[in-house]
Amino acid sequence: MTNGFLIVVALAGLVTLALKCAFIEGQHYFKLPQWFTDSLELVPPAVLCALVIPGIFQDDIGLVNAFGPVVIDPKPIAAGIAAITFFTTKKTIPTLIVGMASLYAVYWLQI
Amino acid sequence: MLPLLPGVVPFGLIAGFTPVSFGYTWIDSTMGSLLMFAGASQLATYQLMDEGASLWVILMTVAAINLRYVLYSASIAPYLANANRASRLLAGYGLTDQIFAICQRDYPTHDWNLNERMAYYGGGTLVLWLLWQLCTLAGALIGQVIPVFWSLEFMIPLTFLALALNTLRTNAHRVTALTGAGISFLGLELPYNLGLMLGSLLGMLAGLLYKRFSR
Repeated sequence: MTNGFLIVVALAGLVTLALKCAFIEGQHYFKLPQWFTDSLELVPPAVLCALVIPGIFQDDIGLVNAFGPVVIDPKPIAAGIAAITFFTTKKTIPTLIVGMASLYAVYWLQI
Repeated sequence: MLPLLPGVVPFGLIAGFTPVSFGYTWIDSTMGSLLMFAGASQLATYQLMDEGASLWVILMTVAAINLRYVLYSASIAPYLANANRASRLLAGYGLTDQIFAICQRDYPTHDWNLNERMAYYGGGTLVLWLLWQLCTLAGALIGQVIPVFWSLEFMIPLTFLALALNTLRTNAHRVTALTGAGISFLGLELPYNLGLMLGSLLGMLAGLLYKRFSR
């Protein structure tokens, strides 16, 4: 077990639990103000898109660490192809499969 | 509940093997699933830890991803309000997108008493919880034998990408997403993951402004 990891995960778990219990635990449930509800629906696209970017543009993939760098980073291209796949299929699993296959293809084509 | 379960499997496997691919043990990975039991925020926590993000950035991001649970718990709370404290806490821990979807659909249309409502909630949650824990455990064990060149860590941004694209229902969502991604990209070199924080906040702001002025 890794202590640092467990501490971070335990704290993140507490934050999660606090939000999940916000109203179930608070006896005085009330209607949320409209502006809050309006803002809340925009949180997922904002946070998820902001989270995607470092994963696509930063750090080297395992392939690069194992077999060496290539001229064009395969990650953004693979992510683009995965995005097109999602828009055409609307399904997550094909998006993941095509994204990973594109990652391998773009890397190996440059070797 | 059954139609909602297959989608949990690949996500659980990814959440299980990600920490292992970052060099943590399968026990760490399992503890992550037990303590958090929230897929997207588990992945975000692992990714940010790997990037060396500070604790407050990780917790803020987890809070932002999980804000939707406030809405969920608000809509379910009236049905569970009279349960005892331990049951309510357990219900809170077990709250997921899936159980919310089901209870929101079925509570208003059935004349159930509190025990029946709790049993309905508890049964569905238990199935989902067990499946999630088994999938993350399997993912963590598989992750230990998969070589690094498989580059499976790239599944995290791909998963977030699919989750993000799935939210783009209206133009306001699209404006939010484009602004969030754009600012996050421009801020990639900023310290303390400020790009992520600024991208999230300004993305939301752009979306709210769009909503306000497009009426």
